Parts: sequence; C-alpha cells; structure tokens
Amino acid sequence: MIPNIKRVGNVVWEIPLGYRKDMRVPVRIYATEKLLKEMDEMVFQQALNVSTLPGILKYSYVMPDGHSGYGFPIGGVAAMDAETGVISPGGIGFDINCGMRLVLTNLTYNEVRPKLKELVDLLFQRVPAGVGATGFLKLTTSEFKELLEMGAKWCVEKGYGWPEDLERTEENGCIEGADVSKISPKAIQRGIDQVGTLGSGNHYLEIQWVKPENIVDHEAAKKLGIFENQIVIMFHCGSRGFGHQVATDYLQIFLSVMERKYGIKILDRELACAPFNSKEGQDYFAAMKCGINMSFANRQVILHRIREVFSKVFNADPEKLGLHMVYDVAHNTAKLEEYIIDGKRTKVIVHRKGATRAFGPGSEGIPSIYKSLGQPVIIGGSMETGSYLLLGTQKAMEETFGTTCHGSGRTMSRTKAKQLVRGEQLIKDLEKRGIYVRSVSYAGVAEEAGIAYKDIDEVIEAVALAGISHKVVRFVPIGNIKG
Amino acid sequence: MKVPLIIVTGYLGSGKTTFLKRIIENVKDKKIAIIMNEFGEIVIDAEVIKGKAVNMVELTGGCVCCSLTGELEYAIKEIVEKVKPDYIVIETTGIAEPDAIILNIENIKEVMLDNVITIVDCDSIIRFPEIGYTGRIQIEMGDFILLNKADLVSEEQFKIVQQKVREINDRAVLFKTIYCNGNLDYSLFFGYFIEKDVKSRTHTYHENFEYLYFEYEGKFSREKFEEFLSNLPNEIYRAKGFVIFEDGSYLFNFVGKRINFEPFEYNKNKLLFVGEKIGKYKEKINEELIKILK
Repeated sequence: MIPNIKRVGNVVWEIPLGYRKDMRVPVRIYATEKLLKEMDEMVFQQALNVSTLPGILKYSYVMPDGHSGYGFPIGGVAAMDAETGVISPGGIGFDINCGMRLVLTNLTYNEVRPKLKELVDLLFQRVPAGVGATGFLKLTTSEFKELLEMGAKWCVEKGYGWPEDLERTEENGCIEGADVSKISPKAIQRGIDQVGTLGSGNHYLEIQWVKPENIVDHEAAKKLGIFENQIVIMFHCGSRGFGHQVATDYLQIFLSVMERKYGIKILDRELACAPFNSKEGQDYFAAMKCGINMSFANRQVILHRIREVFSKVFNADPEKLGLHMVYDVAHNTAKLEEYIIDGKRTKVIVHRKGATRAFGPGSEGIPSIYKSLGQPVIIGGSMETGSYLLLGTQKAMEETFGTTCHGSGRTMSRTKAKQLVRGEQLIKDLEKRGIYVRSVSYAGVAEEAGIAYKDIDEVIEAVALAGISHKVVRFVPIGNIKG
Repeated sequence: MKVPLIIVTGYLGSGKTTFLKRIIENVKDKKIAIIMNEFGEIVIDAEVIKGKAVNMVELTGGCVCCSLTGELEYAIKEIVEKVKPDYIVIETTGIAEPDAIILNIENIKEVMLDNVITIVDCDSIIRFPEIGYTGRIQIEMGDFILLNKADLVSEEQFKIVQQKVREINDRAVLFKTIYCNGNLDYSLFFGYFIEKDVKSRTHTYHENFEYLYFEYEGKFSREKFEEFLSNLPNEIYRAKGFVIFEDGSYLFNFVGKRINFEPFEYNKNKLLFVGEKIGKYKEKINEELIKILK
C-alpha cells in the first residue's frame, strides 16, 4: 500500500496531489480498510498513471472492487473534459459495454427447484457459451451493420423481445452516434456470428433466489417487482470478439498518432489515448458506440432465448411467467455526460471500466418508471457468493460522476486460482450446496471460484457506506451457466 | 500421443506476425499448424478451406495456417484430427493476457503446452517507462523471450530492456532479434521430443547450441528427477528423452520450467540436454543423475 494515503472519509481514501509530480488530479479510492489492504500494489500505480492524463477532472477514482487491468485499473473511473481531454480504450475495457441484465419471474423457489436441472441444461443449450461460441442468429453483413447502429432496437423490431425491454435498458438499448463506417472488416467478421452468445471468462447466466432475509429495502424492492422467494435471472456478457477488435484497431491507431501528432506523452503504452475532440478520438467514439449497441443487442437476444426456454420448461407464455426486465446496465463504457464542476456546466467524457453508472433519483437518462427511485444498479458477484440490486444516488452524482462498483473484483490471478481450485471438484461441491453449474470448461470454473474474488458483501458495504449506492436486495444463485 | 503446442504472445506491433513468417521459412522438417489472428500478409492467393471451427490454408512448405471461426477447443480438436500436425502454434491477440489461454490449453487433452514465446518490442519498452499490467503477464509467462526491434535502440538502452525483462522473468531464455531474426535457431522452439523423432531415431539438432547426451540403466525417483530438472542451470534451454520411474517408462520434455511426462514404452533412460555453452556442465549433470538413480 502507498504510505501517503490519506483517509478523507469513512470509506474514502486519497493519494494527494503532489505525491507524484506528474499528477494532474488526486487519486480517490472508495474502499473499506480491509478492501484497501487487499488491493494489489499495481492498482495504485495505475490510478496514479490515469491521474496524469490530459483533461482529467476532479479525481482519478478506484471503486472498492478495483484491481489492475490493461492500463487503467478495473474498477477505475476517470472523467475527462470533452474540450481538452482524451479518450482511452484502456479506460473502457476491451469488452465494450460489458454489462448486466436482470430479469424477473413470477415463479417461486419451490416452483423452480424441481425443474432446475432441466432449465439450466436447456439454457446451456440455447445460450452458447465459451470462447468463440457462435450464436444461432445468422446475420448477413448488412443486417449486422444495421444492428451495430440500432442496438437492441433492431432485435425488438425483428421480434427478439418486447418494446418495454428497450425502455428498461441504458440508452434505451441504442446509443446515438454509432457509425459503422468507422468499423474494420475484421471486427465485423469477428462479431457477425456472436450475437446471442455469452462468451468465456467471467461471463455467466444465473438463476437466482430472493431469500426473504436478503431484502434490505422492502419498499424499493416492491416497486422494482421483487418479492420474497422469487426466482430471478441475471446475466453478464458484452460485445464479444467485436468489442475486442474495435479496441485493438483503435489502440494501434492511437499509438501511432498520440505522441507524433498530438504530443501526448504517457508512461505505459497500455494507456494509449487520443484527444476526444480529434478525428481519431471521434472515430473511436463512434466505433465504440457500435460496440455498445452490439452488446445491448447481444443481451437482448439472450433475453429472448431465456424467455423461450422458460416458456418451454414451464409450459406457459413468457408474459404469464412475468419475465419482465428490471434493467440492463453496462460497466465498460465511456459516455458523454454533463456535470456541474466548479459551478459551471461542463461536458465530460466519463470512462467507466469495471464501474457501473449509478444515476440518482430524478436524473435524466433513466426510465420514467424509476425516476423517483434512482437508476437500478446490477452487481454480479462470483458464482459462489451472491449478487445485488442497488439504486443510484444523488451522492454518486455529486461525488463520483454518477458511478459505483461493478462486481466483486479479482484478488488473485487466474493461474493462482487454477492452482488452488479444481473445477470438477468445485462443481460437485456447489451442487451439494444446491447450486447447479453447467460450464464449457472446468478450468474456466476454477478461474472464477469464489476465493479468487473479493468479498462481494464487503464491496457493497463500501459503496453503501460511501452513499454512492443504495442497497435493495441480495440474490443467491441456484443455477449457473458459465462460458 | 499429445500434440505439442506453442503460444506466441506480445503487444500489438511487437512482431508476432513476423515471427510466424520466420517459422514458416525456417522450420521445414515438421508439420506445423499455426492458429493466427488473421491470414493477412502471410497467406496470399491461397485457397481457404472452410472447416467447422477453423478456416485453413495449406502452404507449400508444409505449414497449415488456421484462422479461428469457432471455439478454440473445438478448433484444436479439428486441427489435430484433420491436419495431424507435429506442432501447433497459437498466436494470441496483443491485448490478451496469455494466462487465460494457457489454462484453457491445459484442459484440452489432445495437446500439451510445450512453451510460451513472448515477443517484446525493445523500442516500446524504452519509449514508455512503465511496462503495463498485460505486458507484464506476457513477459512473466514466457519461456523464450525475443527482445525484438533491437536495432531501434542503442546498446545501452538494450541493456535497460534486458534488465527490465529480467526483473519480471528471471528464468526465460532471452534472444536479441531484429525482425525476429538473430542468433537463434528456430528448431529450438520446436524441440519437443515426439513419437516421430523416436521412430526415426534422429534428434533435431540445434546448430547454434551445444548438447549433452546420457544413457543409464535402472530407475529414477520421479520426485527427485523433477527436482533435478527444475534446478538445471539457466543456460540449458531444453531437456528431453526417455526416463524410467517406478511406475513405468516415460517420454519427457522440459523447457523453461515446464515439465511434461507422457507414458511411453521404452527400456532405457536416454537424456538429451540442449543449451548454450553447456559443455562445462557435463560432469556435474552426470554425477547428479547417478546420485538419484535407484
């Protein structure tokens, strides 16, 4: 841990300006003391590096689930002045718009338990998982291009979902300004067969249970459609190979112009960036938005498959089963937003990498049904622990550019987890504990074992104590499909 | 028998594609299937054979280039079945952390990870004072590291590069290269001792390196043999051959700190060590081996 770190709040820590000469803003870390101590050394280094980027405003933030990643920490937040600042793919993540979607059912635990295996097995069949899995949606290049510009809207128009799904998706499932002319043929090729697929790594689909004792805010839970012993579905995935290729393409472009054309010097090439207002920056922004739309579309098609599967297993219409979405929110993005900084309305490009938008009540850009509550925030824990539904707060708007944590965050490398955990054994253990897991690879399961992650309850406690999110309910898994 | 596999990693623009080209040019005695990110400049005017999980192109030299269209695991199975290669090479994307892919490979029973080759761009290490998170993992995982684009840095800067890489990985074999060429023999990377080598009774010779050869009767203790291998001096890049333990005979391969044993019927211990200026270790290695013979 860095020696000069200052405690500036109950769960807020600061590395002050001047700790390193090249800092433009201080670093702020949101964490309990325990989480702070668990953070790897490189997180601080990376947050400091981010604090040196041109145009960064207020602070370089690390959320309580922060751990080191490509250039920026995962769990890193950085808002850059749209006029003078930069945009950086490393601050967004390569799985562009990777995010969470939460779906309700009106089924109870007792109704689902006897059919759990059947349900999970069929979901495993219908929602492809694993590296390079190809979806069942066969698209022509021109259809895929339409999808990239229209996002989930395209899917709903083609019958993969309900109009209400769009209202309950960040950006209504379609971000404006996505431009396919900024996309390489390679990216198209990598993404065209992947709509409707989970992908590998920490991506998953879970059947979860609302245990009565886990509802924290009963009133808010009710408004969000949550009841005791209910079964809900949560899934986590992103823009697959498409997002990766977009990031790869523009990293190369940025590396070639950053210093030569724009005179930007950085410490670590993983921080490659370009001025947001430059041609390269704007091209990437428009291409990245295609990644955002691809990811919304991906989750939309998966939702459609989930509805089909539930409908088949429970022999009833999805409407009757109450398969309504709560919300879809991303945690790997950069968005143009407006905040009041030093009394002045300022346009900023907010990088959220492994950090979730958490807009408070009354904010623009959240669905009218949630206007008074605040934006739903969906936090996925590890397979073994649990997940949360939170709400965004006014304090997040004031303190963290409307941002909170995204999950539990790794505490150990994949290699280490693999050495300590045998996937096969873990699956058996989980089954004994009532969690049925289907996965493409045992190694994959081991990598994602609970011990490889920070304690999700502690992470949530930190954001709740900081007041940047409000706790509604915790879910526990009973079925899991892993990529 | 399992097919040995190489993972090639390194940042965008470090020279991975050039490295693959060198493999195609230099390795003529083995059938190599290369899983690459894109055919791009390597495969021109060749006919692409579309498979289930891979598209393939056969080159005149015997190499087969493959581009992934499906899941890696299935692609590997498809390649093993259709191409029957002596070796598989996988190029990772520049932004990938190779530890995830290594774990996937260890899970596929058709193949055996032989070594990880990391290509480092010397110029980039000098230009950017910090080696990032992903770059560190790439270096950390390497058994062989090519310090490439060495012509773009001065002698003094090259020493800094060496030192920085060594701080992250103190066991890998480092090579100084320009366009992935240098004082290195590509057959070293492909030195895994495979069934074909046993049958033909020829070893792959590594022109630029010395080798030591030993034969013994009797049996080794597996535990002690593994300990002996992991304590070999850094100048020994590879060890391979047959070894007899209590529970049977094995074909063994050692590279970096990676040890592989595969059951194989054989009646003698035969061991080959490959490295740079390793003649001086002959006596010592012999003594140590005799010590652990039962």
